[in-house]
Amino acid sequence: MHSAYRTAIGYFAVFALLLLGSGAVLFFSKIGYSSEAVTLYYLGNDESAGKSAYGLLETAVPHLGAMGLFIMVLGHFMLFAPNKAKRSAIKLTVTLLIAAALDIVSGPMIAVGYTFWVWVKLGAFAVLMLLGVLLALLILYFSSWHSLSPQRHRR
Amino acid sequence: MRFTLIKELRSDALMRPLLSGMLLFTGSFLVADIFLKRDHIGLDFATLSNTLYGNEEEFIEPVTEHFILELLHSDIFFMMMTLLTLAAVYARVCPLKRVAVVVINIVMAAGIADIVLLALAYYRGGGYLMPWLAAFWTWHGGALFMACASLLYLNVLRRI
Repeated sequence: MHSAYRTAIGYFAVFALLLLGSGAVLFFSKIGYSSEAVTLYYLGNDESAGKSAYGLLETAVPHLGAMGLFIMVLGHFMLFAPNKAKRSAIKLTVTLLIAAALDIVSGPMIAVGYTFWVWVKLGAFAVLMLLGVLLALLILYFSSWHSLSPQRHRR
Repeated sequence: MRFTLIKELRSDALMRPLLSGMLLFTGSFLVADIFLKRDHIGLDFATLSNTLYGNEEEFIEPVTEHFILELLHSDIFFMMMTLLTLAAVYARVCPLKRVAVVVINIVMAAGIADIVLLALAYYRGGGYLMPWLAAFWTWHGGALFMACASLLYLNVLRRI
């Protein structure tokens, strides 16, 4: 693989880490990481209104489009990694897609009153962040210090 | 990324118009983003300073932390997708491979600096505003250069 591609992929992994980092800070700043904070954000209380249907859609719609694309693009770089890492990447990518879907769906589920989904939201978000960072670091490693080769992919 | 594997990219009846169209859209996106940022947060020191820190004399409120975080979050996504696609096309069509590596490094590094410096400018103060402006213009200019150069290599200059 030409070094220009490897350079672009390496920077893409850094962008992915920044995206995940800004997502984590935004989650902490807007919602909070406790079950009470998540419940309050979606359902509200006597002093503050909960999340409206429009507000839920406003968050869910761009994330539905972006998360699938982000995970697919990030994951597909592992096609060029050595076979052993590729097998782990398949499990990692599928888990990431499931976590992203649960993270998006859990907001509306909490808003309609299924408070158990607060734990699903927190769990899915934690898995999304941890595995997303792991995948980005793996891609950064393979693009910078190890060989990413399209030859392996074609075999 | 199929275009990375096609040998005669310029004579490929499907890939050439597809890539040319994509490059035109990307170039338009980059130009439109400059106007959007100018209206949204400002692209000169005084307007940026008023947006981020407010101005008591002119009764301007500073933007909220959520505004900056959401702006950064969405900007990172668009930047990473745009720059990756653009870099992949440019690396494929540019015959000067060393130049391509240098240009891609400059644009990508400036893109990352854009994100980091805007966050630093908001949380740490006005000292990061001028570096942010430099990073902003560098990655926009560099990305526009990659789009225009790719269009030229693809349609005018030489066989790839």
